Amino acid sequence: MTRNEFLQMLSDELKKRKIADADDIVSEYEQHFAFKMADGFSEEEIAAKLGNPAALAAQFENVGQDKKPMGSRAIAAAGLFFADLFAVMFLILLIGWEIVMAAFSACCAAVAASLFAGVSPWSLIPPMPYGCGFIFGLSLAGLSVLSAVGCVYFAAFIRQLMRAYGRFHHNTMAAASGNAVLPSLSVHPRLNARTNRRLRAVALFSLTVFAAFIVLGMIVSMIVSGALAFWHAWGWFGYPGR
Amino acid sequence: MHVNPQYKKGVLELCVLALLKKRDHYGYEISEYLSRRIDIADGTVYPILRKLKSEGLLTTYLQEESGGPPRKYYSLTALGRETYERDRAEYLEFARTVETLLEDDGHDKE
Repeated sequence: MTRNEFLQMLSDELKKRKIADADDIVSEYEQHFAFKMADGFSEEEIAAKLGNPAALAAQFENVGQDKKPMGSRAIAAAGLFFADLFAVMFLILLIGWEIVMAAFSACCAAVAASLFAGVSPWSLIPPMPYGCGFIFGLSLAGLSVLSAVGCVYFAAFIRQLMRAYGRFHHNTMAAASGNAVLPSLSVHPRLNARTNRRLRAVALFSLTVFAAFIVLGMIVSMIVSGALAFWHAWGWFGYPGR
Repeated sequence: MHVNPQYKKGVLELCVLALLKKRDHYGYEISEYLSRRIDIADGTVYPILRKLKSEGLLTTYLQEESGGPPRKYYSLTALGRETYERDRAEYLEFARTVETLLEDDGHDKE
């Protein structure tokens, strides 16, 4: 098959299959011939290596042609409206939890700071010897860092969830109006490997600090107060009878 | 390398994206690069390029060349980049699993 025969056959096959931009496709193969011929190949060789024009034309089928709208736009929009409503409520819930977690982290930090400083703002912190307070302070500082890491993870999760939902929203409308659909996104956040490693190390360390110092603090408190229930010995909960 | 035609199509798409991640290429370059390494007809790369373009993973632009017609260059879009990174990770994981499975078939003992 010569160059012209190949291109003519390809063009006919493309038009027979009603493929858009047939001329553009043919010109790409024309360029292929030009490059190969410059390298000294014969027209027959090049045509043979390219493959059968009819088979090639068939491979251009279903490429960007399948843009038939699926379903009605109005129904999709109405459905999406309700989906959005639920998504927003869910999002408010998730953001609420993020705020709670952040507040918890801040509270732990504040109590830890008070214990380190040996002060009891508004007498909110129960009385205990400074040494015991210091140990409990370390433990609470660990808990504060741990919940801060939790906040970071959760924020990344919420962000990714919003992006994935946005993509779903876009794709639903695109499918209904026959536009190109984008690949869907995973709901799992993708932190980069380094951040991930660091966060995990910080989380593990702070968890260890929290667990170790709370146990140590209780043991020391028991020894210092001479009672298993040291909180009673120090009268933490008030004793109206006495 | 000869590959079972059933695997080929998806993998070829991934190869095209990988090639374009490095830098922009024109159609003939991609066709030459792949058909030298993988046993495919030279013509099959162009339908793949067209499909990826219609999916919004690639864009094209024309660039004048000295002594010749302008060349059509293919370039990855942001979506193409994102899709490539995802498919790459999926493929590598899949390939690793298959490799372990094939190596654990008791092949050496027989």
